[in-house]
Amino acid sequence: MSSTITKLNAPLTQAFDFQPSSELQLTPTPTLNTLTQQLAGFDTLTSALEYAANGITGYNFYDAKGNLRSVLPYSILRQNARILAQRLFGFGLLRGSRVAIIADTSPEFVELFFACRYAGLVPFAMPIPVNLGSHAIYVQQLRGMLESSQASIALANMDYINFLEEAAEEATCIQWVGTPEKLSGFPAINVELEPNYPDETAYLQFTSGSTRTPRGVVITERALMCNLQGIVCNGLEIKPDDRSASWLPFYHDMGLVGLVLAPMVTQISVDYLATRDFAIRPLQWLRLISRNRCTVAFSQPFGLKLCTLRVRESDLKELDLGCWRAAGIGAEMIRPETLRNFAEKFASAGFDENAFLPCYGLAESTLAVTFSKIGKGCKSIQVDSKTLIDKRMAVRLQAEGRKQNEFVNCGRPLPGHTVKIVDEDGQQLSEMMVGSVLVHGDSVMKGYYNNPEETNKALKSGNWLDTGDIGFLFEGDLFITGRRTDVIIVNGRNIRAQDIEELAEQQPEVRSREASAFGVNDEDGTTTIVLVIECRLTSVTERQSLTTRLQQLVYMAFGVNCVVELVPPHTLPRTSSGKLSRFAARQGYIQRTNLAGQMTFVESGDR
Amino acid sequence: MTESNYDEIMQLLCDRLSSLTNSDTQITPETNMISQLSIDSIKLLNLIMEIEDTFDVSIPINALTDIHTVRELADLVHKIKSAS
Repeated sequence: MSSTITKLNAPLTQAFDFQPSSELQLTPTPTLNTLTQQLAGFDTLTSALEYAANGITGYNFYDAKGNLRSVLPYSILRQNARILAQRLFGFGLLRGSRVAIIADTSPEFVELFFACRYAGLVPFAMPIPVNLGSHAIYVQQLRGMLESSQASIALANMDYINFLEEAAEEATCIQWVGTPEKLSGFPAINVELEPNYPDETAYLQFTSGSTRTPRGVVITERALMCNLQGIVCNGLEIKPDDRSASWLPFYHDMGLVGLVLAPMVTQISVDYLATRDFAIRPLQWLRLISRNRCTVAFSQPFGLKLCTLRVRESDLKELDLGCWRAAGIGAEMIRPETLRNFAEKFASAGFDENAFLPCYGLAESTLAVTFSKIGKGCKSIQVDSKTLIDKRMAVRLQAEGRKQNEFVNCGRPLPGHTVKIVDEDGQQLSEMMVGSVLVHGDSVMKGYYNNPEETNKALKSGNWLDTGDIGFLFEGDLFITGRRTDVIIVNGRNIRAQDIEELAEQQPEVRSREASAFGVNDEDGTTTIVLVIECRLTSVTERQSLTTRLQQLVYMAFGVNCVVELVPPHTLPRTSSGKLSRFAARQGYIQRTNLAGQMTFVESGDR
Repeated sequence: MTESNYDEIMQLLCDRLSSLTNSDTQITPETNMISQLSIDSIKLLNLIMEIEDTFDVSIPINALTDIHTVRELADLVHKIKSAS
């Protein structure tokens, strides 16, 4: 059996050791606090927690059946994190050293994360493995992150420690690998915990599953505090009677910043469901919202789609979603139909479509960039498809019957932030013109850790962040029309084309720069990954073996299927500098396979 | 836990995989779910849900990383069921 359940129970004995350890007696932290609410405005994470610890709210963890498994009030979190920080001092690490933590949805992860900050260390969350047969590739991905971050210590709970130990074997920087239980056995060193400073790095956020070139976004305390303030004050207008529910993984920016840190800096309670449990039984999330009267809950559009697909009429009768005032939607392109279908399905359960809160953001800008207006629902505009393609210009549809595209209004930038749209030469474009989306403001990252090459690609002069997304502005509001070809989004997961090409290039039959990966969409918006390989093999068996192997590798690394096309050498189009052009490779593939309706305006080329 | 339980697990897996993937491939214990059935993450989660509901077990996500074939999955479910 999995040790998860037993371990999730472990902190209970610490938190409630004056009670018999009966699950029945466990009660979630309340919604209403005894403490006056302070909406962000702290200088660091630890000072925010010091304040929150004076109240009675906190984090609650539920199992797959919806039973409360463990409760972590902010007061106990502070206490446990400070003791763990003193144990961490025993390693004698320099301030700012990196600590890797495999981020299961558990109290231990949150305790360790804050313990690192109390000890002046820089934590980062690593993903949990989710795909069949992914053992070897998952270990490689972990190793990539350990090496890229030059982490000094690494932690994982019992379920994942074996993977971590394997990954750490060849990572020279690592001094110690272990479980939270093992760390708890170390002596607490009696030292005064020093305060943190706004200019210090708060944490790293990894954004890619690459084994060779992982990218760890460096977020300072200042950037984090600035983004959180914008989210809770301007985006969500958090109030004392708010409560959150979340299934988002703690190793994603939206899960960590949006649904762990934002609730804490406003001292509101959160109810968590593990991502795996949501993915298997999505209705559990809605039941939590309904049962605990949650008001703020975020999801990718894909999560809403899962709920819509899986719900039965009998489920609707027992749900009351009237409490849900902020249904934040982000992290991938928002298609209005997905939201409409959800609203239609759940209207009878009291869901108010005005709760939809489309927003736009990315880890490189901590989390959020723009928010639409709270309480107003999802607004979209219809633009003429032909003008969009021919002139790269969004013109509102004048006459019926013309082919049109509908785009969701993602709202305005947070205070102190600016969004501009530029063309390929970096020249600013006027409203309604489609181009690259650039962001400026205090939430923007310092760069990718130890990776000046990728940093220079993303951060333009004047510290403008090139988001890699394409869109336009209309009356000051941002509309995203697509991603550039370097990111493929399948079932809500962002996959970098480069990471797939890299897997292919690791095969002996594939030379470097002879693989190109991109996504193609079918009519209902489903994305399929295509991997085109220039191939010299002539034997049918060898070609089939390469194709199968590549499909398996992509599956094991990213959990998605892909189409592999083997083409003769010199088929893939290259730019004048000899670089492969994914945009042109995709157009070529579409022509060869006669896919209709795929020639779109959404990509402007490769970054 | 008896042999018949194991057979029952294997039978359910083969039946469910066959309808989930709509493929003509004859599903046997040796069928590789990744390369032969190209079962994606959504189908996988559906399958896990059905296994969990039918056999009243909880499949730990970390155990799936070493599963390739139908037999390996059946062994895992059987092991968990026997331990519970």
